[in-house]
Amino acid sequence: MKKIQFLILFALFTTIVSAQDNSFLLYSYKGNVSVVDNKVESKAKVGQPLNKEAIVKVAAGSAVTLICNEAAMFTFVKPGTYPLKQFGDSCRVSSNSVSSNYVKYVWAQMTESHGSPGSNRKAYMNTVGAVSRSINNIWIDPRLDTVNYSGGDFPLSWKSYSEAKEFEFLLYNADNIGTPFYSTFVTKLKIPMSDIMAKIKPGNSYFWTAAVKGEENDELKVLNYLTKETFNAFLANLKKQGAAFEAPAEQAYRLGFMLEDNHYLSEAYNYYSKAAVLDSTNVLYRSTLMSFKKDYEIK
Amino acid sequence: MKKPLHKHIAHHAKRFSSHFTKYLYERDTIFATAWVFIFILAVKFLPLPNLHFLDPMEIALEDFDFNDIAYSKLGKAEHTPLDPRIVIINIGEADREGLAVLINKTASMGPKVMGLDVTMDGPRDPHKDSLMKEAVEKNKNLILASRFYPGKGKEESSYSPNYFCTPTTNDGFVNFLSKEWATVRIWNPFMRIEKKDSSKPYQSFVASLIEKYDPESFEKLKKRKNITELINYTRKYTLETSKFPQYQVIEGEDLLADGKVDTAAIKGKIALLGYVDLNPENIEDKKYTPMNEEFAGKSIPDMNGIVVHANIISMVLDNNYIKKLPLWASLIIAILIGWLHMSFFIRYYLENHTWFHLVAKISQLISAVLFLYLGIQLFIRYRIKLDMSITLVVIVLTVDIIYFYEAFAVWLHKKWGYRTVFHQKHH
Repeated sequence: MKKIQFLILFALFTTIVSAQDNSFLLYSYKGNVSVVDNKVESKAKVGQPLNKEAIVKVAAGSAVTLICNEAAMFTFVKPGTYPLKQFGDSCRVSSNSVSSNYVKYVWAQMTESHGSPGSNRKAYMNTVGAVSRSINNIWIDPRLDTVNYSGGDFPLSWKSYSEAKEFEFLLYNADNIGTPFYSTFVTKLKIPMSDIMAKIKPGNSYFWTAAVKGEENDELKVLNYLTKETFNAFLANLKKQGAAFEAPAEQAYRLGFMLEDNHYLSEAYNYYSKAAVLDSTNVLYRSTLMSFKKDYEIK
Repeated sequence: MKKPLHKHIAHHAKRFSSHFTKYLYERDTIFATAWVFIFILAVKFLPLPNLHFLDPMEIALEDFDFNDIAYSKLGKAEHTPLDPRIVIINIGEADREGLAVLINKTASMGPKVMGLDVTMDGPRDPHKDSLMKEAVEKNKNLILASRFYPGKGKEESSYSPNYFCTPTTNDGFVNFLSKEWATVRIWNPFMRIEKKDSSKPYQSFVASLIEKYDPESFEKLKKRKNITELINYTRKYTLETSKFPQYQVIEGEDLLADGKVDTAAIKGKIALLGYVDLNPENIEDKKYTPMNEEFAGKSIPDMNGIVVHANIISMVLDNNYIKKLPLWASLIIAILIGWLHMSFFIRYYLENHTWFHLVAKISQLISAVLFLYLGIQLFIRYRIKLDMSITLVVIVLTVDIIYFYEAFAVWLHKKWGYRTVFHQKHH
C-alpha cells in the first residue's frame, strides 16, 4: 500500500514539476501585441523569452506566435488577454513511434491503390497548369472602389473564388492602413453598413477590405462617411441640374443615376426605388432597380 | 501425459530454427552463397555488352538512400526542439548596402559570431561596396562566404575568396561538393588544394563559424580528420513544418524596425544572415535534402542553403555525427544474412518443393521489410548508417542462384563425383 501511495505521490510531483517548467519564446507577431512580464507591460518583441507568469495582450487584427519549451508552437489570432500559465496544455508534444510509423508506411504501400487517370482524377489531374495572376481569393467589384456614404441601409459586398465558409471584414483608419481598427468574421459575402455604423464617424474616410478567413487581402477600398450636411448640399446641387418640366419619377431616376455615378450608392438605391414606386409601369426604372440590387447584393 | 508449456515452446522453437540451420553448414549452402557474391561482382566489374538501356534506372537510384524514409515517412526529426544557439536572419532581396545595414544592426545586438551566406565575387556599385567594406572591417566576428572549386580530372582545385576578404577578415567556403541537383548528404569541413598549401587546409563556412563560437567543438571536428562528414539533419524550416519552425528566423525588415526584435534573440548566438523563402515555387539557393517529402523520383528542392548550414552547425555543436559503417561491415552483414537465407531456401527447395516458391517470395518480402527496418532503427537511434542495399540485393538474388547452383552442382556430381545435396534435378 505504501508503495502505491509513494508511486501516486511521485507521479503527482513529476506532473506538477513538469507543469511548472514551461518557458515560452515569442517567435513572431504582427499588429499590436503587448506583453506583461514581471508586472511591467511592454510592446512585444520577436525572440523575447517569457516565463509562465507572463500575459500576452493581442489587439484586434493582430496575431502572435509562441514557442513553448522550444518544442511546441501555438498562435493567438483573436483579440484578448492570454495568461500563459493557462496554456500549459499547448506545451505538450505528441510523439509518434518510429516502429508504428514504419508499419503504417509499409501497410499503406502494400495496400494503397494508385488508380489511373480515369478512375482517380483528383490525383492525376492536379498540376498547377499555368502561372497565376491575382491569386487573391476575394474579388471586390471596382464600383465599390470608393463608396460615399451618408446614411441608409446598404451592404459592402464581395465575391469569393474559394469555397470558404467564413470571411474576415477589416476596417482601417485612413492614417493607419497597416493595422485594422475593427475586424469581424461573417459568413455571408457582404456586411451591412448598419453593422459598422457604431465604429465609424461622419466626416471621416476609412479603408476596408474582406478576406477569406486565415488569408490576407491587400486590396483596400475607400469608404467616405459624409455628414448629412455635405450630402444635402451635394444633392441640392444635383437637383438644380434637372430639366424645367421634370416629373417626380424622372427626377428620382436621374438623381439615382447621378448619385450612383458619384459613388453615393446607398443614396442612389433610395432614389432608384423611389422612381420605380412613382412610376411602376416604367420598365426601365424597374429593370435598373433590379440590376442595381443584383450588382450590390441588396436582397 | 501432457508436456509442460515451456517444453512445447522449446520444441517448436527448435523445429522452427531447424528450418534455417539444417543445411547451414552444408558446403552447397556456402558455395551457393559465394556464387551470389560472384554474380554481383561479375555484374559490377565485367565489361558486359552495352547496358545503356539501364542508365535511367542507375540515374534514378544514384541519389536514392533507404534512410531517407526515416525523415519523409517515419517522422525522424519532426519533434526536434528549436535550436536556441542559432538565429537565422532573412536577408530577402537586400543588396550590398542593405546587407551592410543588416550586418551592423545584427552586430549591435551582440551575437557571438555572424555568418553572411552571400557570395560576392567582384566590385559593383562603389558607394554600396564602400558601405559593405566598412561593415566587414568593423565586425571582426563576421564570417564571409567564399567558394572552393574542385578541379576536374587532373585539373587543380582552386579557392575563390569573397571580394571583401582581406588578411584580417574571416571566411569559409559555402558550396557543397555534391552534384548541383543531388541530395546534399555530405559536407567537407576542410579542403586542401592539391600540391600546394598542404600545411593549411581551407575551412568551410560552418567550420569557420564553429571555430569562433565553440573552439572545443572545432577541435573535436579537426581531430576526426574526415574529408567528408555525413550531415545529420535534425531540423527544418519549410512550408509544411511552418507550424513548428525548428530554427528562429527573423525577417530582415523586422530586425531593422525599431524595437521589434528582442536583443535576447541574437545576443551570444550564431547569427546566420542568409536567404530564406518558404514559397515552394521559389527555388533560389534551395537544396535537395534527405528531409524532402519525396524520397525517390522527381521533386523540388526543399531546404534553403542557410538552413542546411544551420543543421550542420547543430550537428557539430551537439557532437551528433553520423557514423557510417565501412563497406566491409556491410559486406559481412550481407554475407551472414545471405547465408541464412540460402540455408532456409535450400531446405524448402529440397524438402518442400511444392511450397518453395511461395515461401521464398514471402520470406524475401518479410526479410526486405525487416532488414530495412533494422537499418533505419540503427540510423535513427544510434546514428549508424549501414548500407542495407547490398543485403537486399543478396536476398533477392538468392532464389535465382539456387537454380543455377543446382545445375552446376549436378554437373559437377556427374563429371567429378562431387558430393552434393542436390541429388536430382528439380527443373
